[in-house]
Amino acid sequence: MLSYKGTREAFTKALIDLSAEDDRFLLVSPDSLKAMRATPFAELYPDRYIEVGIAEQNAVAVAAGLASCGLVPFVATYGGFITMRACEQLRTFVAYPRLNVKFIGINSGVFGGEREGVTHQFFEDLGIVRSIPGITVVAPADEHQVYHAVKAIANIDGPVYLRAGNGREHVVYDQDTPFELGKIKILKKYGTDVALFANGFIMNRALEAAEILNAQGIKVTLADVHTLKPIDVEGVTKILAKCGAAVTVEDHNIIGGLADAVAKVSTDHCPTPIGRIGLQDVFPGSGPAEAVLDCYGMAVQDIVKAVKTVLSKKR
Amino acid sequence: MLETNSVAKLQKIANQLRLDVVKMVHDAKDGHPGPALSAADIITTLYFRELNIDPSNPKWADRDRFILSKGHACPALYAALARKGYFSVEEFQGLRGLGCLLQGHPCMKKTPGIDMTSGSLGNGLSIGVGMAIAAKYRKKSYNTFVILGDGEIQEGIVWEAAMCAKRYQLNNLIVFVDHNGWQSGGQVKDISGLLPILPKWEAFGWHCQTIDGHDFTQIITAIDNAKKTPGPSVIIAKTIKGKGLPYMENDNSWHKRVPTDEELAVAVEVLGGNANA
Repeated sequence: MLSYKGTREAFTKALIDLSAEDDRFLLVSPDSLKAMRATPFAELYPDRYIEVGIAEQNAVAVAAGLASCGLVPFVATYGGFITMRACEQLRTFVAYPRLNVKFIGINSGVFGGEREGVTHQFFEDLGIVRSIPGITVVAPADEHQVYHAVKAIANIDGPVYLRAGNGREHVVYDQDTPFELGKIKILKKYGTDVALFANGFIMNRALEAAEILNAQGIKVTLADVHTLKPIDVEGVTKILAKCGAAVTVEDHNIIGGLADAVAKVSTDHCPTPIGRIGLQDVFPGSGPAEAVLDCYGMAVQDIVKAVKTVLSKKR
Repeated sequence: MLETNSVAKLQKIANQLRLDVVKMVHDAKDGHPGPALSAADIITTLYFRELNIDPSNPKWADRDRFILSKGHACPALYAALARKGYFSVEEFQGLRGLGCLLQGHPCMKKTPGIDMTSGSLGNGLSIGVGMAIAAKYRKKSYNTFVILGDGEIQEGIVWEAAMCAKRYQLNNLIVFVDHNGWQSGGQVKDISGLLPILPKWEAFGWHCQTIDGHDFTQIITAIDNAKKTPGPSVIIAKTIKGKGLPYMENDNSWHKRVPTDEELAVAVEVLGGNANA
């Protein structure tokens, strides 16, 4: 049965479970075994654990070579080191030849990097990978969704980037909640005053904001857009059409991530006013996880306020 | 010892590949002839003597792998693949053209026989390490060959890969450094602090050899030696950029330059091949 606590542990558990049935899955580690909480995998499958040293570009290119020979490597380390330091290897040698490499990026968001500061807070990762053709991009909301999402991405052919956290993520799903790649999941249906689109480890705040708003008489629909690319155009459009106004909630810069993805669906299919909760295109700083989110525009009250603002613009 | 007629045969093929390169770049009015000619003899030896491959089954799982990490030299690789039978020589006409089989730099999804996309410098060795580890993991006996440029090994990822290959004792990985002494902007010795090259690989724990990269006997012997080593092996091949055409040799303007009709005619005369065959 499932046994893990935390998103990194959930990844490792999923990889172990997958590996019991399929010997194509490998872990490529740029000295990230401890950071990924993946030691149990390496102990179980020492020959499937490829250690390349502190060398992320090498890790991604080695994975490309492995994948070209029919294996399915997971490159797992800090999200920014994958998407920024090894961006070109990911783009030119994995995405361009459509090789079957999976990327797991930890410390995602301001929340994930928290006290480490900007060098370890990764809030551009989704925007970077989203702009590269052919990569599936997933931002799960908690450890249970990470577990199911890792299993789901293992079963599709092609490159995927999936976010994980640092151990402070709030649990918002039941352990056995099904995960459907590429489809939004509606979490709350209080009403259709405003649509709340959220993803990632800030979901608990979106849920709290929805509840507060409900108590104040503002009825929102809250949807989890865990698959950022390809985004569920039909699902998002339906909610936009019903609500006529939306707020996006993400632990990412408001450029390049969920806000832009939802805005594109909106401008293409159902123009509506949209408010954007996320990092407001500034560099954050060190601090306790919850405090940095509060400080940089991602407090529950910021979401509540954004909903009220966008509601006032609704025609 | 290698038979004299085998060397003569390889020399004849190499001349044809060189002519193909010049014709391709001439017709496309774009490309890198100098770097292609410098690697032509190594590529000839690999494709027409060494590699265990099957042109009728380019994706054969047990084939030897080859990565041209200095991807801009691809006209020589395209020539070898066509002459080997992976596709028609008529494809040469389309080099770098819209919708063509032969992209500006090698693309594994578009060109049969290309084992890995390349063109962005420095990355081929890491990818070769991945292929070599895959062979070990799957208990397959194929070898992985990589050609790096000497300018290219200024990229840091090359040395990340060198450490990794040593850690895994990849005795199924054989690397050539095409050491022609030039890079885009001038001489390697003036642009970087790279030289001498060989001690750096030695320091990374690799088996090292230095050869004349235009001498087929030396190329073949070096490969045979490399196959017997317990770990990864590098062959520093001293080469001449533009080798084979007097007007091109060691003239770095040919890094990327289009031969005129007259220069193509000289190539036909010097190389003795058939520009249209």
